[in-house]
Amino acid sequence: MHRLIYIEEDVADHPRTKTICERFPKATKVYCKYYGEVFNRKGQNFRLQKQQPALLLARKHKKHVLNAPDGYGIGGRRNYYFSHMLNCVYDCRYCFLQGMYRSANYVIFVNYEDFQQSIIETAALHPDEESWFFSGYDCDSLAYEPVTDFTSHFLPTFAQLPNAHLELRTKSLQIRTLLKSKPIDNCVVAYSFTPEEISQALEHGVPSVEKRIEAMIKLQQHGWRLGLRFDPMIYQVGFEEIYKNLFEQIFSRLSADSIHSVSLGTLRTPKAFHQNMVSLYPEEKLFAGRFDESRGMITYQRELEEQMTDFCYDQLMQHIPQSLFFACTPPE
Amino acid sequence: MINIITALQCEARPLIEHYKLRGNARHNAFRCYQSDEMQLIVSGIGKLAAATATTYLAASNSGATTCAWLNLGIAGHADKPVGEALLAHKLIDSASEQQWFPGIVMPIICNSATLTTVDKPEQSYRKGTMVDMEASGFYAAAARFQSCELIHSLKIISDNRQHTSEQITEKTTTAMIHDSIATIDSIINPLLELSSQLNAIEQVPPEMYDFMAQWHFTTYQQNELRHLLRRWHALSLANKPSPHDFTNHTTSKAVLVAIKIFLDAEPISFNKKAAQ
Repeated sequence: MHRLIYIEEDVADHPRTKTICERFPKATKVYCKYYGEVFNRKGQNFRLQKQQPALLLARKHKKHVLNAPDGYGIGGRRNYYFSHMLNCVYDCRYCFLQGMYRSANYVIFVNYEDFQQSIIETAALHPDEESWFFSGYDCDSLAYEPVTDFTSHFLPTFAQLPNAHLELRTKSLQIRTLLKSKPIDNCVVAYSFTPEEISQALEHGVPSVEKRIEAMIKLQQHGWRLGLRFDPMIYQVGFEEIYKNLFEQIFSRLSADSIHSVSLGTLRTPKAFHQNMVSLYPEEKLFAGRFDESRGMITYQRELEEQMTDFCYDQLMQHIPQSLFFACTPPE
Repeated sequence: MINIITALQCEARPLIEHYKLRGNARHNAFRCYQSDEMQLIVSGIGKLAAATATTYLAASNSGATTCAWLNLGIAGHADKPVGEALLAHKLIDSASEQQWFPGIVMPIICNSATLTTVDKPEQSYRKGTMVDMEASGFYAAAARFQSCELIHSLKIISDNRQHTSEQITEKTTTAMIHDSIATIDSIINPLLELSSQLNAIEQVPPEMYDFMAQWHFTTYQQNELRHLLRRWHALSLANKPSPHDFTNHTTSKAVLVAIKIFLDAEPISFNKKAAQ
């Protein structure tokens, strides 16, 4: 429940603003000229704000669709991301958002139609190629679905764009809209996982591994194509056993037929973001381990990365065909 | 720790009594009062006075712990009832049109409203906003020293269209603040808790001073030492960091390298049983 909703004056009368505000009848509306007056200014503390994030409703004026970072993709050559929302309802300690933003408040850009138009135009740039659009880069794609109604607005856009693919990346159980909708072939609902022990320690507010698997089973039964994202892989001593158990837990429940893709990624954070994260959470065990710096990124040491990637890859190959596997690794 | 700024002595009086604050004779630029976890300064009227008093208090505490800041006083409002306490969720400086948005992350029992700071008393009431003469100066100054979640303005409505400002006296002002003590408490206590959280996060590992007594660390090396000692504590190791374990190293650089090698070799486990 939000006590305050900050609203850009420009979108005060936008129908989506009104719909969202109706969900929070007790919230006080505070008007601002530009959401940047409230969000991400100097002199804000992400950790304190995370205790009671406010909601901001704003308009995204440009750059609705952006090129995805190198290594972010599942096989496609044209990879893009778009963010109808900034920040996440979950509180994962490894998440780069807490180092990238000074503010933990949630921003929703209510002008969905501009994002949709930009997606259509971007996909049209390469009509003979497949383009991938990732929606879970600056937020969890589904976790705020009851407020954003994101999927019911964006799925129809992709349904009419056969060369455009949508990845919904999530850890959420908010799948009601998906279960009410007719599955489309060019959408993948991708769930992120770390082993339960690590999830409990680092993924605050995230549904348990088992609950996420149950959500995936429902989606699978409904006909949605599914993705599995083990990104980032988190190290702990004896990681082999917990990752092996995680893979067995997942693949013993899910049918391989509806799995579209499986990807592995290592923990990597831009140095400046990592430093912010350590300053915010100096007592966090995750940051107390050994990290190396490589080309401005903070990573596990290379041998450890390779050891984890090789082990997890070998384990995954016992459950899925190689064709479903993608490594989310930036090029050298 | 919390720093409170009031414009008038009659606004400060109920707080001095309720929180059992003692006068601090060391200060002669402003009247100041304090307890172990609270400082109060009486700034005088106007945003310049409020900014000066805020900066004065911050400067006199330089190097001390993280503090919350609260500007407390009376304000006018066109139609809010006299005596209602309102936390400012948006501050506007009328002269410059600059705006600030305090981060309200604590539970509050009162309502919130916009607060506009004017340079001179106004005869008519502005629509939809509290009006005072200090908050923008206070906020602009306090924002130099603290993040927005710890800087707030709480105002008690002293006058409105029905009960105009001519009826305000020192006595009624004191009474209004006194009657709002429960609400004031409900703001001050969570702010104290937030500042305490920040202090805990920013706390220098206690062993740092033992290491610094043993070897000379440059400023850069002190930062590195602090980072390494925090890592040590985060790992929840059985043994506490102690200079005695590194006495075979003669230079501060060698000590830092040795601590890093030691920590890098420590196994990480998020399994609660294994960690115990």
